[in-house]
Amino acid sequence: MIAWKMAWREARASAPKFVFVIFGVAAGVGALTGVRGFSSAFFEALKREARTLMAADLTVRQFGDATKPQTQEMDKWIAKGARLSHITETVSMMAREGESPVLVSVKALDPLTYPWYGKVELEPAAPLAQVLNKDTIAISDDLSLRLNLQVGSSVKLGAAEYAVCGVVKMEPDRMTGSLNIGPRVMITREGLERSGLMIYGSRASQRFLFKLPVAPAIDVQQIRDGLKKAFPEAQVVDYRETNPAITRALDRSTTFLSLVSLIALIVGALGVATAIYAHLQQRLDTIAILKCLGARSSQIMGIYTMQTMLLGLTGGLAGVIVGAGVQALFPILLARYFPFQSIPWSPSFALEGIAVGILVTLLFTIPPLLAVRDVKPAMIFRREMPELRARWAMRLRKQLPSILSGALILAGLGGIAGWLAESPQMGAYFIGGLAAALLLLAAIAWLLLRGLKLFVRWSPLRLPMALRHGMANIYRPGNHAPSVLVALGIGVMFTLTIYLVQTTLLQDVAGAAPKGAPNVFLINVTDRDREAVSTFLAQQKDAVVKPRLSSLSPARLVLVNGTPVEKFVLKGFNRRARFTRQVTWVDAKPDDLQLRKGAWWTAADQDKLMSVSESSAEMLKIEPGMTLRWESVGRSFDVKVAAIHRVESVRPGSDDEFLFNRAALQGLPTQWLGTVRLPPPSIAVFQREAYRRFPSVTVINVAEVINIVQDVVDQVSLVVRFISAFAILAGAIILASTVAGTRLRRTRESAVLKTLGARRRLLISIFSVEFAILGLVAGIMGAGLATTFSRLLLIRFLDAKWSFAWAPNLTTIALTTLLAVAAGWLASIRILSQRPLEVLRDE
Amino acid sequence: MNTPILALQAITKSIDPGTHRVDILRGIDLTIERGEFVAIMGASGSGKSTLLGLLAGLDTPTTGLIQLDGDEISRLGEDALAGIRGRKIGFVFQSYQLIPTLTAEENVLLPAELAGETGAELTTRAKALLDTVGLQNRHDHYPVQLSGGEQQRVALARAFMRKPPLLLADEPTGNLDSVNGRQILDLLLSLNRQEGATLVLVTHDRELADCATRIITLRDGVVVSDEKRAAQ
Repeated sequence: MIAWKMAWREARASAPKFVFVIFGVAAGVGALTGVRGFSSAFFEALKREARTLMAADLTVRQFGDATKPQTQEMDKWIAKGARLSHITETVSMMAREGESPVLVSVKALDPLTYPWYGKVELEPAAPLAQVLNKDTIAISDDLSLRLNLQVGSSVKLGAAEYAVCGVVKMEPDRMTGSLNIGPRVMITREGLERSGLMIYGSRASQRFLFKLPVAPAIDVQQIRDGLKKAFPEAQVVDYRETNPAITRALDRSTTFLSLVSLIALIVGALGVATAIYAHLQQRLDTIAILKCLGARSSQIMGIYTMQTMLLGLTGGLAGVIVGAGVQALFPILLARYFPFQSIPWSPSFALEGIAVGILVTLLFTIPPLLAVRDVKPAMIFRREMPELRARWAMRLRKQLPSILSGALILAGLGGIAGWLAESPQMGAYFIGGLAAALLLLAAIAWLLLRGLKLFVRWSPLRLPMALRHGMANIYRPGNHAPSVLVALGIGVMFTLTIYLVQTTLLQDVAGAAPKGAPNVFLINVTDRDREAVSTFLAQQKDAVVKPRLSSLSPARLVLVNGTPVEKFVLKGFNRRARFTRQVTWVDAKPDDLQLRKGAWWTAADQDKLMSVSESSAEMLKIEPGMTLRWESVGRSFDVKVAAIHRVESVRPGSDDEFLFNRAALQGLPTQWLGTVRLPPPSIAVFQREAYRRFPSVTVINVAEVINIVQDVVDQVSLVVRFISAFAILAGAIILASTVAGTRLRRTRESAVLKTLGARRRLLISIFSVEFAILGLVAGIMGAGLATTFSRLLLIRFLDAKWSFAWAPNLTTIALTTLLAVAAGWLASIRILSQRPLEVLRDE
Repeated sequence: MNTPILALQAITKSIDPGTHRVDILRGIDLTIERGEFVAIMGASGSGKSTLLGLLAGLDTPTTGLIQLDGDEISRLGEDALAGIRGRKIGFVFQSYQLIPTLTAEENVLLPAELAGETGAELTTRAKALLDTVGLQNRHDHYPVQLSGGEQQRVALARAFMRKPPLLLADEPTGNLDSVNGRQILDLLLSLNRQEGATLVLVTHDRELADCATRIITLRDGVVVSDEKRAAQ
């Protein structure tokens, strides 16, 4: 009873000290429950509304038109009572008189049948079938802003004019559609025909939406199997499952955000642990009294465990409230994409979050709680009680509980991470990475303190007094320099790594290979426009790189010298060798290709010939002289391998793995890809002119796409930066609480120094030196690790270039130093303002 | 019951602050009988506080044996020592050492609570003890709301809560003015008579020591004089 009262009153009395760490736990738990609660509720809603989200019972989606056998298969099911609504999606340029053309996603549908489920909401409100016809177009609201359109305005898409019939407020299958580039427009299939955009070979994605009859019923599995067989490369989804296009992304982001939340929670818990440590440090007297009065260590640990749990619980409860807010916010953010009414709040995730919050907090407070055992009751008489130095083995045995508790913490966190990610392997990676970073930081911190001590002791230089005292302060007993360094260092490392990777990646994309690579693409160039576009490109006098126009035809590799491609064991990315790709033909060998084996063809060669890249040749065991069988739009043809090549530079937009001669691809549906590099100021003019001359050609400005990418990256990095900024804040809190924890010693020392004639300025310098060194070292360690990690990430995993960035590193180090000095100061103001006599009399 | 309450044999205590070894106690043999009132005197640094710590089982000797109420305590573990302290020893410290977050009454009850005892009679005893030391109206006050003398009275009540056979006091009047100091001493002596405990007092105050039936003087870690006297 009294123990409870004590725990409760102590916790209450020191609440202000714990406010920050409670915030830490709350942020972690809040993020965790919000993310997981939303994700699960969302998943349920997806299942419940699977039909609405597809606008059908079953959909088939593929790039390219249906082949004859595919159409026959669909007709077979239609004959049995299934109903079909066909949707074509593509990207194109759209313009209004006097405005620059805009890249839009076009969705062509049949308003009489689409959607089978759900409803398209328009503004002004009207049934889709009533207002959408071959002469009208429905647009998204961002487009109405960009082109300043109202209902009735006239816009041009491809070669035809359309009248705007409304703004789309909601479309049920928005998230299961194929293309999400730029603003969206909806037209009828007849309308699309009228635009002249769809010519044999044009790039478009086809969706076939089926509604199954009630009676006589069609077995879902049967129709699914039948269609899957006819459409081997298509995605076939039915209402019984949640749409993989959404769930895969959802799963991934849930895992990612859960782990990021866990990091926040860990940092918060680290804060709790140091706060508890400092708290216990101030409670040494109480602990010693309790021991004098007959309390066993376990009883005292019980009291402080209770306090810790109170903190964890408070943080957890606050976190659940935050989490409910987060969860309520998600549907509002996603309202445009999903027609969900509301997402129920589930108490199980709240409980889960509180449990994880308390568990992580407890795990981290094991070491400081264990230290309770070492408090000697006799310290009531004498404060410092060094014992005779024990033998090495004895000391190791004394450290055993600490080592065990460290292992327990790692195992516990690994377990939680593995459970959150639903993968033990992920948990192991997570904890391995965390442990490695912690160990590395701790080792550097230890070495540094050691070096500093040796330096101060053996340095032949006469250092100024402030410097000597400040440095000495760092390695004094009771000064938790290592934990301050580790905590601050981790925060700095996270933030800077993310910053470095992000900026490098963006620079990499934006710079898209400084020279040689194109920055404007022309897609959907058909045979009809080919000559004219080629001439137009050739006229671009300020082109930095010679414009190119390459052919693109869909083709799929079937046999390698008689062996089916399916027989090769292909893993991961290499599996794409089995799918349809866009291939191109060339007459002469491009300059940036290096011939490795065989010989290149001449333009006059009438045989079907090709060259294979070294990597693909190796993967599929291809040698010159072999015959490859290809299939395209239901037709197959054999091509002889004439050469093996190596690609020197990466050219975005075209596939250099397989190059054909003109004869090999004769007669296949072909469209052309134009590439050119222009000085950025000329691009807008080029875009307008291209649109004027070739309205059906889509011009993509890489810079615009990069802006979209940048938006996404910015949002992700904002979340991660927020969390890592939190880690830095926790580091500063730890520093401040350490200073507060050593206040007694500092107060006494300051008083003595003042009595001996030291001015406040000297004291201020001593403290500043101490905090600045801590901040400087944490900054250098964090920056060093961040540079190492970002280098590893960029070179190993992201295939990007890496170079040492001075400015961000130096800025980070300077800011960390400033932060450390500020945090230290905040905690020391009271010490300095005390008069020496008050302090010494208290002795 | 004729075993001595405390028996020390060849006690030494050394510490190592890192640079050199310091021998604080250098061979102490001592027996304290039940009912004695012993004052341990000595200049600062003579080792008297260290000796008190050893007697109380707050610390273990480097070598030598200590028997408390017949039990060998010099080699016991931390938790076993805590149990013995709770049962057999009452403490009074120079700086009171009350738990700041507990009221006067809760502080007095604490030793019983820690031993796992419960019941209404405990509360009754705690209240009675507080009344005895003259704090009738201050049961629910927290330590910060009490004066130094009042805090030491609470500490006295706490020391006697579990009727310990041995009472150890470390400069109990050291932080008080002479009037308050005298009152505390009188209370301590009368409570001790009432409860029948053995009293060991560490002090460098001659006047205080003169109240004792036996005065032991330490210098540089050894006993230099041990005089028995008639009670005053």
